[in-house]
Amino acid sequence: MPRTTSHPVTRRALVGLAGAATAGLLLAGCSSPGGSGGAPSGDYTAAPKDLKASITYALWDQTQVKAIQANLAGFKKEYPNISVNVDVTPYDTYFTKLQTEASSNTMPDLFWLNGPNFQLYADNGKVEPITGEIKAGAIDPKNYPSALVDLYTANGVHYGVPKDFDTIGLWYNKALFAKAGVAVPTSDWTWDDLTTAATTISSKLKGQGIYGVAAGMDGQTTYYDTIFQAGGNVISADGKKSEYASDATKKGIVFWRDLIASKGSPSVKQLTDTPADQWFVSGKAAMLIGGDWGRSEIAAAPIAKDVQVAPLPKGEQKATVIHGVSNVVAAGSRNKQAAQALQVYLASKAAQQQQGDMGAVIPAFNGTQDSFAKSMPGVDLQVFLDELAYAKPLPVSKNTAAWNALEAKYLPGVFAGTSPVDSTLEQLQTEMTAALAKG
Amino acid sequence: MSSAVSTRSAAAVRTRTPATRSRRRPRHAVAHVVLGVGGFLMAFPFLWQIIMSLSTNSQVRSVVPTFWPGTLQWHNYVDVFAQLPFLPQLGVSVTITVIRTVAQIVLCTLAGYAFARMRFRGRNLLLGLVLSILLVPSQVYLLSQYQIVQSLGWLNTIPGIVAPGLFSAFGTFLMRTAFMNLPNELEEAARIDGANPWQIFTRVMMPLVRSNISVLAITTVLFSWNELLWPLVVTTYANLQPLAAGLATLSGSVTVDYPIIMAASLMATAPVLIAFILLQRRVIDGIASSGLK
Amino acid sequence: MSGFQRAVPRAAGRPATRRGGSGVHTDGWWPVLFVAPLLIGVAAFYLWPIVQTFWFSFTTFGVFGGQTFSGVANYVALVQDPEFYTSLGNTLIYTAIVLLGVPLAVWLAALLNTPGLRFASFYRVLFFLPYIAMPTAVALVWRLIFNGDYGVLNWFLSLVGLPGPYWVSTPGFAILAVSIVGLWSSLGFSMIVLAAGLKAIPPELYEAAELDGASPARRFRSVTVPLLTPTIFFVTVVTVISSFQLFDLLYAIMGPRNPAMPSSMSLVFYFFQAGFVDNQQGFAAAIAMAIFALIGLVTLVQFRLQRRWVADV
Repeated sequence: MPRTTSHPVTRRALVGLAGAATAGLLLAGCSSPGGSGGAPSGDYTAAPKDLKASITYALWDQTQVKAIQANLAGFKKEYPNISVNVDVTPYDTYFTKLQTEASSNTMPDLFWLNGPNFQLYADNGKVEPITGEIKAGAIDPKNYPSALVDLYTANGVHYGVPKDFDTIGLWYNKALFAKAGVAVPTSDWTWDDLTTAATTISSKLKGQGIYGVAAGMDGQTTYYDTIFQAGGNVISADGKKSEYASDATKKGIVFWRDLIASKGSPSVKQLTDTPADQWFVSGKAAMLIGGDWGRSEIAAAPIAKDVQVAPLPKGEQKATVIHGVSNVVAAGSRNKQAAQALQVYLASKAAQQQQGDMGAVIPAFNGTQDSFAKSMPGVDLQVFLDELAYAKPLPVSKNTAAWNALEAKYLPGVFAGTSPVDSTLEQLQTEMTAALAKG
Repeated sequence: MSSAVSTRSAAAVRTRTPATRSRRRPRHAVAHVVLGVGGFLMAFPFLWQIIMSLSTNSQVRSVVPTFWPGTLQWHNYVDVFAQLPFLPQLGVSVTITVIRTVAQIVLCTLAGYAFARMRFRGRNLLLGLVLSILLVPSQVYLLSQYQIVQSLGWLNTIPGIVAPGLFSAFGTFLMRTAFMNLPNELEEAARIDGANPWQIFTRVMMPLVRSNISVLAITTVLFSWNELLWPLVVTTYANLQPLAAGLATLSGSVTVDYPIIMAASLMATAPVLIAFILLQRRVIDGIASSGLK
Repeated sequence: MSGFQRAVPRAAGRPATRRGGSGVHTDGWWPVLFVAPLLIGVAAFYLWPIVQTFWFSFTTFGVFGGQTFSGVANYVALVQDPEFYTSLGNTLIYTAIVLLGVPLAVWLAALLNTPGLRFASFYRVLFFLPYIAMPTAVALVWRLIFNGDYGVLNWFLSLVGLPGPYWVSTPGFAILAVSIVGLWSSLGFSMIVLAAGLKAIPPELYEAAELDGASPARRFRSVTVPLLTPTIFFVTVVTVISSFQLFDLLYAIMGPRNPAMPSSMSLVFYFFQAGFVDNQQGFAAAIAMAIFALIGLVTLVQFRLQRRWVADV
């Protein structure tokens, strides 16, 4: 699913990413960028309906396989002689495997790629552009949220369109608000409203160990959102500099520091020991700032009947982070035509509608999201769709992981109140800018 | 079980003397307390895992731990079957584990014997080289091994999955230690009788290290059974993946159904546990019948 | 101890000194036949990658290849990087704590070996369970045990009036928590290896000691431990080597984005961060070589020291 952030224990992204390091370690002597299977050309000719091929489609989320198999059944009707092997690799090892394959010219013909890893593969010629498909009218980028189309564009070249998207919202527990005598969130809420409500709930329900709000303390669900809401940026528009020490960005960070200091949120340590969603589904936090993907866990929790969702509160402006996964064709694919045929099919309105109807994801194709909006009766999931109006793409670069690690190193201390704000953010900005220059 | 017990009690009878009989009972009491309490502490996380595998996801995720789920969710175990080609994967696991275990026993025992008891130039250097492969982070090997397997055309095959795991520095070191502990007399006697090194090895020395071979077998089975990264990387078809790899794919990137994962991992562990229970008797009995009297 | 050890007849089925003990014979080409099958595989699948890594440690990498020779620059950067020393320190702490499991395992294995002890097989299975358990599944359970607010461990501590920390998210405590799990998961392995070693001790020696009136504790110290030293040596070496490889467990217990991670990382974790996260594969290769040298050195020292305490080697 289109998330980039990690959940303790379950999503050991770093392991996977880190493993890739090793792959890269031994890479040099073995292959040249682009691989021998074919350089990326962007060529596209629609596959003949009787094309015979056997291709592999690699992805990392088992929970979506059912909906994907349904898509593939439809694809089979159009291309009866193309057989598709779905290769599911857990996220932990997905990118280790992909990088090993990329270094050995054995990449899957079609595969999932996410924002943080996209530029690395695109810039190194591992991914086939979709310029040919666009020219032929097989894929039209206008049909998808523009923030996400941009995410999969490098140097003006399109490499993929999103298959789905995620935005961040404010989940809340009506029962806990009532218990604390606090009015529930509205779509007009500001940062102050959130902080006041959170601290009030925390102090009123302290005896039961209940907090006002919990957040994942990662970029996508937490501080990137507030940075954008404060009018700040993580990376400068030209992609060359970090803006962590800018005033607006600083505000988006300090918001969390203040919230934790006011006890409206559990401490950083508490949120490390017990992830935010656990606080919320256990009825120990009245609000959760989290993605739409939380709905299946929330719907199964004992608190489900009390749950409602609101848009993220406004800072200087409204904002949310948006991210989505893309299907991309390997530049070295030996079955490029078949892979492109599947890529086009999966990007079609029919296929994405089916994805949405089966409840796997929020499909990216405009106008196919109705099923999602209705998937939790009584809960206004439309909120996540309406947020598209002001959604900002997840900040990424060619070496996203390098500065994500710097954020993980410096920011927790700022949130916890143990590191000074100004000098720490200066330091982060300096090191991150250096990392961006290396990328 | 019964044979192990009888062997031990025979030993006990043999060593029992009037002087010690009076002391035996309290000493065993201490042993039982230490081993009982220690054993419980060791087993506790495992037992809790069993309970979790029978809980709902909400119970597992509850901030205040749920120690007993009330209604036991046995269907968690059934659900695992629904999501995986369980039997083909079990077949792959058994196949690769048998191949590696046999191969490691043969290769490590041969090499371990040579390193322990034969004389040849460069013995220590070669032993050092073999052991040196344990000294770097294991992931250093991934890409090279992948490309070797690829060039042999073994991607997505059983030979590809098993190949690197046939060779074990740890096992060689283990068997070397075992052979070094043996007395020289038997070997010398056989040599005087005109046996060649192969005959000495197979007929005289091998039987003496059976319990260590059992230890090697246990560790190899465990390694092979639980190995994750390598099989995931060299296979792209679910049917060709061993069970541990298949189970790993169950954890969705967003919605993690913990009870299913717990149930799945317990199901994957069960055959190894059974193998251990069977093999530990060999570890215990091995020497008793080895002629080392 | 030494007095009694002298009383134990060495010849009682134990190896005589190996060095020069068996006269002159040569094994001719036999060793080649015995060793070659293993060596061929080891060379192809393991030694060659190490050689490559060694070369890479003197280069600077592009992400997808294209290395340029950069001399010892990576090593210079390594010795100047404070994170290297942090991770080395954590690795040493972890190794030291897990090593405490070796004497514990000797004692427990000896207890399990008590003649006539009932339920021994059952106990053995209990102690071996952690070694069998799948790390990722068990990590979740341990996180619940270590949880600062609702954890079982802190609940026990509160019973005796001790305030428990947030184990996995407090610098200092985090590596301790990981070490506890490391100790827990390695104890069963050590015990099973030691059990095999114990079985090789001839019962006659215990009988002789008993007839001499030695107490159980004295028999343990004077018969069991000395005769077990080759196995103890093996377990110690293996424990040190595997402790230096700490990574998966650290990651599984602490999780990503743990604020305590920068101060709790291990050498191998540091290696991974450099290799991928910073895409400095040349630098990562240098770290791998440093790890290689460090464990190699420690292991070599152990082999040298073994003559002082390991019987009959």
